Amino acid sequence: MARRILTLSGYLFRSLLLSVAGIIYFLLGLAFWRIFFDPGQGTPEMAYYILVIGVFGAGITFLVTLSVAGRAHGAANYPLLARLPSRVEHLTATLISALFFSLLVQGLLALLALFRGPVFDLGRMAEIPPLWLSVNILAAVLALHASDLVAASWSRIAVFGSLAVLLFGQEVTPSNIEWLTMRISRIGSWFMSTGWVGIGDLINSLGRWLQTGGAETIGALLGLVFWPFHVISDAVIAGYFRPAQALAPAVILLYATLLFMLAADLFATKDLYLVEH
Amino acid sequence: MIRLEEVTKRYYSLVAVDHVSFTIPRGEVVGILGPNGAGKTTLLKLIAGFLNPDEGTIRPQGGAWPAIGYKPERLLFPNQLRVRAYLQMVARLSDLPAAQIDDAVAHSLAQVKLTAAAAKRIGNCSKGMRQRLSLAQSLLGRPPLVLLDEPSNGLDPEGQADICRLIEQLRAAGQTVLMSSHQLPEVTRVCTHLIILNQGRIHFRSSMEQALALRPYVTIHSDRDLSPLTTVLGALHPQVEVDGNAVTLVDDAIGMRRHVLSVLVGTGYDVVRVEQKRATLEEIYAEAVQWHEES
Repeated sequence: MARRILTLSGYLFRSLLLSVAGIIYFLLGLAFWRIFFDPGQGTPEMAYYILVIGVFGAGITFLVTLSVAGRAHGAANYPLLARLPSRVEHLTATLISALFFSLLVQGLLALLALFRGPVFDLGRMAEIPPLWLSVNILAAVLALHASDLVAASWSRIAVFGSLAVLLFGQEVTPSNIEWLTMRISRIGSWFMSTGWVGIGDLINSLGRWLQTGGAETIGALLGLVFWPFHVISDAVIAGYFRPAQALAPAVILLYATLLFMLAADLFATKDLYLVEH
Repeated sequence: MIRLEEVTKRYYSLVAVDHVSFTIPRGEVVGILGPNGAGKTTLLKLIAGFLNPDEGTIRPQGGAWPAIGYKPERLLFPNQLRVRAYLQMVARLSDLPAAQIDDAVAHSLAQVKLTAAAAKRIGNCSKGMRQRLSLAQSLLGRPPLVLLDEPSNGLDPEGQADICRLIEQLRAAGQTVLMSSHQLPEVTRVCTHLIILNQGRIHFRSSMEQALALRPYVTIHSDRDLSPLTTVLGALHPQVEVDGNAVTLVDDAIGMRRHVLSVLVGTGYDVVRVEQKRATLEEIYAEAVQWHEES
């Protein structure tokens, strides 16, 4: 299995590397370096270096994964897929080749940014791989869900809709959901007026709960999902990780694993209509 | 080797494969014939596992799923790769031991007469070469089941003859082949079993031997128009058909040929020729497809 996955990974990696898109990604890395790490400006902070290149890594991984997934979705791959005992091997190869390619671009930027850049001690150097890798892997898996290779029926809406709800939900406060509580109160009143006193009372209680701290509870609960990201940025800026904070990359990897399992299930069971480029 | 049971595949309101059931016997060459849009490619993709049936099941008989070599109809390749490198990649995906890969690739190239083009970029290959390459990759590593979608499409007559020889060799070597084709002579020559599909349904299914033994007929040619004898001859058997100077006796009616001859001679006609034939694959195909259109 490992040999089949590596063979496919190499094939997909080479096909992107030798393409115009591959060159564009390297140029994008150079442009990013020129803008955010201009050699003419002062030495950047270590936190700036880690966070900015980390964010770049996540972004470029998302784009590269979309490109590799597009190539993996070509009809030229039918004979290759027929040889695999499991389709998931093809998906894994897509993920590995995209990660490897984006790490190459990110590594190039990281090396260039060291030119008149921050001086690292060994401890801080050791922080970087788990931070960048975990975020890159999550970005790659999200990109797989955004690609035609994996997406099936409403899966994109489900994954990215849930993400949007979580992002919006963590910002929930009584003031920014005032419209919602007003509507809930009206629905409650309507039920009361039509004689459904029990249901109306329940709905009114919900409205009151949202106004009196319930909204903050919802926001805090949904915000929990984004805990690792807040923790990583806080710890990188502070310059050290407390033991609990050090778990943040592992939690991100857990998210990535769950999303990859979902992607694998979608890809393994969908009808494959590969694109004739 | 593989059993399809009531398999149905729909594309929205279009039923591409409609309650199809058949078995692909081990070591046999099964040919699927049918007009464009009959569901041949969909059926091959269902067996290859690219599509899931909406209804019915596709199961291996007596064991696990066999390794599959698949030759798609469209000749699409990673054009930047060279022919040999592409086949080496397919060999690695087929779990061939590293030490055997070069030999297997060389054998595969020789099988399809593509050895001279081994170092060529696929993007620079002609259509015929790509067709041969597509076939080579499907045979690489001797997969127990080979699915060929229009294997000789776009090949010159020599190339088509090569493909026929190759499939005959596969059959002799005990490999199972399921192929779709529009080339009736090719199917007649290489296939041991025949399936005729139209609008997703099986309209004819038989071993090739039985198919070609079907509908024997005798045609008696006379020196003059036999129309005046239509009623007399028709009364002998419903499958006695008069057409111009000839009278044809189909299936059971063949037993009436002595009576037909005596009627002709007795009424002053000369018999110039008597032919005994069997229905060709073209006739069987036309009948199956026409039957559908009429129904």
